[in-house]
Amino acid sequence: MKTGKQRALYVLQNFLLIVYAIFALFPLIWMVLITFKSDTEVFTTTFLFHPTLANYQEVLLRSNYARYILDSVIVSGGAVLVSVIVGVPAAYALARYNFPRKEELAFQILSYKFAPEILVVLPLFMIYQKIGLYDSYVGLIWVYQLISLPLLIWVVRGYFEDISVEIEYAAQVDGYSWYQIFFKMLVPLIKPGLVSSALLAFIFAWNSFTFPLILSSNKVYPVTVAIMKYLGTDSAHYGQLAVASTVSALPAVIFALCIQKHLVRGLSFGAVKG
Amino acid sequence: MARIQLENVKKAFGKVQALDGITIDVKDKEFFVLFGPAGAGKTTILNCIAGIAMPEEGVVKFGDEVMNLTDPAHRNVAMVFENYALYPQMTVYDNMASALRSKLYKASEEEIAERIQWAAKTMKMENLLERLPSQLSNGQKQRVAMGRALVRTPNVFLMDEPLAHLDAKLRNSMRTELKEMQANLGSTCIYVTHDFMEAMALGDRIAIINKGKIVQIGTGDEIYYMPCNEFTAQLMGEPQINIFEATVAATNDGFDAKINVCGEEITLALPKDDNVYSKIKEQGMVRCDIGIRPQNVKYSFEPKEGYFKSTVYSYESIGNKSVIVAECGDYQLRMIAPNGLNVEIDSDVYIKLEMDHIILFDFESKEYIVRYDEASFIALAASKEEE
Amino acid sequence: MTAKNNSNGRSELNKVPFSTRVRPYLIVAPSLIITIGIMVPFAMAIWYSLTNYSFKLPTHKFIGISNWVSMLGDPAFWGAVKISLMYGVISTVLEMLIGLGVAILLNNLNNGLSKVLRVLLVFPLMIAPVTATIVWQLMLNSSVGIVEKLLNIFGVYNFPWAAAPGTAMLTVIIIDVWINTAFIILLVLAGLQSLPKSPFESALIDGGSAWFNFTNLTLPMLKPSLYIALLFRFMAALQEYAIIFALTKGGPGNALMSLSLTAYQKGFKFQKFGAAIPFILVLWLIINIAAKRIVNLQRTAQKQAAGLEE
Repeated sequence: MKTGKQRALYVLQNFLLIVYAIFALFPLIWMVLITFKSDTEVFTTTFLFHPTLANYQEVLLRSNYARYILDSVIVSGGAVLVSVIVGVPAAYALARYNFPRKEELAFQILSYKFAPEILVVLPLFMIYQKIGLYDSYVGLIWVYQLISLPLLIWVVRGYFEDISVEIEYAAQVDGYSWYQIFFKMLVPLIKPGLVSSALLAFIFAWNSFTFPLILSSNKVYPVTVAIMKYLGTDSAHYGQLAVASTVSALPAVIFALCIQKHLVRGLSFGAVKG
Repeated sequence: MARIQLENVKKAFGKVQALDGITIDVKDKEFFVLFGPAGAGKTTILNCIAGIAMPEEGVVKFGDEVMNLTDPAHRNVAMVFENYALYPQMTVYDNMASALRSKLYKASEEEIAERIQWAAKTMKMENLLERLPSQLSNGQKQRVAMGRALVRTPNVFLMDEPLAHLDAKLRNSMRTELKEMQANLGSTCIYVTHDFMEAMALGDRIAIINKGKIVQIGTGDEIYYMPCNEFTAQLMGEPQINIFEATVAATNDGFDAKINVCGEEITLALPKDDNVYSKIKEQGMVRCDIGIRPQNVKYSFEPKEGYFKSTVYSYESIGNKSVIVAECGDYQLRMIAPNGLNVEIDSDVYIKLEMDHIILFDFESKEYIVRYDEASFIALAASKEEE
Repeated sequence: MTAKNNSNGRSELNKVPFSTRVRPYLIVAPSLIITIGIMVPFAMAIWYSLTNYSFKLPTHKFIGISNWVSMLGDPAFWGAVKISLMYGVISTVLEMLIGLGVAILLNNLNNGLSKVLRVLLVFPLMIAPVTATIVWQLMLNSSVGIVEKLLNIFGVYNFPWAAAPGTAMLTVIIIDVWINTAFIILLVLAGLQSLPKSPFESALIDGGSAWFNFTNLTLPMLKPSLYIALLFRFMAALQEYAIIFALTKGGPGNALMSLSLTAYQKGFKFQKFGAAIPFILVLWLIINIAAKRIVNLQRTAQKQAAGLEE
């Protein structure tokens, strides 16, 4: 039974949401439209134009795009994988154990996320050149930990804090070793937080620009840096750039659709203890 | 099944001494109750036995084996946690099967199913097996936690307030059930509670715990009738025992106790009991504390021979009976009365203390000195223990 | 017989096993090694700020604090601080307000629209900021861009956007808001959905107004999530680099020369490495102080929220 006032409010809320959705989604639609435009039509047409697949052919078939994507997958995927492997146990320790200066340590780890990229990257540029990590997968995966690891640790730590320690005791009494408890009991419980923070970390790593721009050149060429190539020196191929950009968003989009169920719920940071 | 011993176990959390030299010896197949106020250290004792907590001093033994360095998984104990500690991602069935699916306590799936069916039936929760813990009420969770322990055949059952969250009716029937089950299983069980009725009904023996120390260990009757100090006396019994000061004076053929009721001195003769008299003489007693259970306080609303006058402070029902509390100045007297009386607050009430049921405590140390009819209670306790 | 074990204090029986004692350190260690490894350059950076390090010179020498002194005397430095702070504060505030609003709408409206948008509205995050900026550039193009055509309807012609110093800041902030509001929406929505139900049920019985419930229940319990969102967003916005770089490389003039941009320019373009570092260390200092403060606020809010839940 809705009163007139409630109905008006309902309509207003939907209206506001649609307004924001147009703002948020139109540029994406625009980008997709550009992928079908020839370079001349990019500047001369809006919605009415002669659609062409030339940009797709150019990018996907006649350039090294697949390799760039592969490099991005290796670097970002590798970074997230390393973060999960070392970050989940660290998050557990920060949630469960009491050791001196624990909060400082947790903040320290978090602050890596906030270290200005330029600050890290300038000296790292020289170190990497000296020790041979410049322009290598390992080098980028390592520096990407600054993006992915703190985020993952902080989200997952909130989850571990929400799990009552008695559950672990109960499992011990039930005859399980610490490792069995960790993998069989705890990992399923932190899964929502783990997958959604892993997704966010993946997105941030995938989109990272400064690190690959400065720390790699030819052998490792992630797609964010590669995209700039289509702005070329002779002429700017906006259509190709749009294709490259659209296609490069696909892995994250697919990942997001797969974990839809966990995506939102998983990022609650254990905000309110349950 | 095993005999469980703790010897001088100490455990501190930071500056708080949670356990301060606990020594208990639980016999094989005994139902042993740990009883005490909140924060006394009862749960910590269970944790030390389970191996969840590591004592800083002292020894934990199962049978003849020292268990200190054995991890919880290898101790083969079944524990019911106060806050249930159910695995949230597993169904009730899987929760209960958990131990029997571990490498150490592996059983076949048929056997697991059989035992779970039996435990579920005992705990009256056959209809809950497919649910997740989040779909259960607190009482149901508690029954699942119990069921998870019952499917096992451990050295000892450790139960931490396992009936606390059940409604009154279910709690009563579960209490009976538990006692019966324990007799049938022939298992050692260490049971934590802060409910006096539960402690009395279930415990073969009861250990009173306070501030990390054992205050008294004995059968329910022993502790109830011969509490070792005023703290235990007050803990055991609902409504609480009355304790007040008195001075003792010799008369021609015995002793009088003088007590203060609203500023007026009342003299009460101490009936003849050789044991009591000899203790009084031995100590040269001048002052003492008298303890008397509410059921031994008689009242009348009319003046009566041998009754002294006081005023009603409150009259409240506690179920199938009521408690009258009378104001006596420095202290109050509780007494049992039937329900449905027409009692007005502040009206006069006349009180008689049945002095041949009192317990005498030391005025300074608050320790037990003697009680009336002590010999027969010692005999009662001894006969229970032999059973 | 066991008495002799107890008599001399802590016996072997009461020692926590070695494996249990070292476990906490063992499992934090990998993260620490990785992050500290990355932090070595940080210490080096401080050292370099005291030298005349440059890619052009074969060697470098210690020159004391002269890099720092010349930075503090450089009007461009103070301009850069102002631009970094302005950018950080304005974009974060806008994103927080819009993000909170949209998350509440998404949470309130449990209809098909909101369900679809919950997934779709995250998409701007998935476009690399650099390319997102270029797409916006095309849309904002002052002669043929779609936004220009839209503005023409309202009688506005040739809006300069990134081309004029006066509107360049507005332009980057719009792009930042477009990309990053999604992040706020995600975190706030997650916070809203994890709120406990019981306080709201009792409020329903008490019959409080919607606004009263919002300010007295939702907001305090949401605060921990809001602070986390603020923390991550504000710290990133203060050092934003990619968007500005892609849009104008810091121009027009010095309109967008933030601390990050200035440091990059000095370090790589002008090859004055030692002189670039102090700019970025100042930025780091600002970020760290702000982060510490927000983390403390967050922990307090978390405790208060836990109290409200009772």
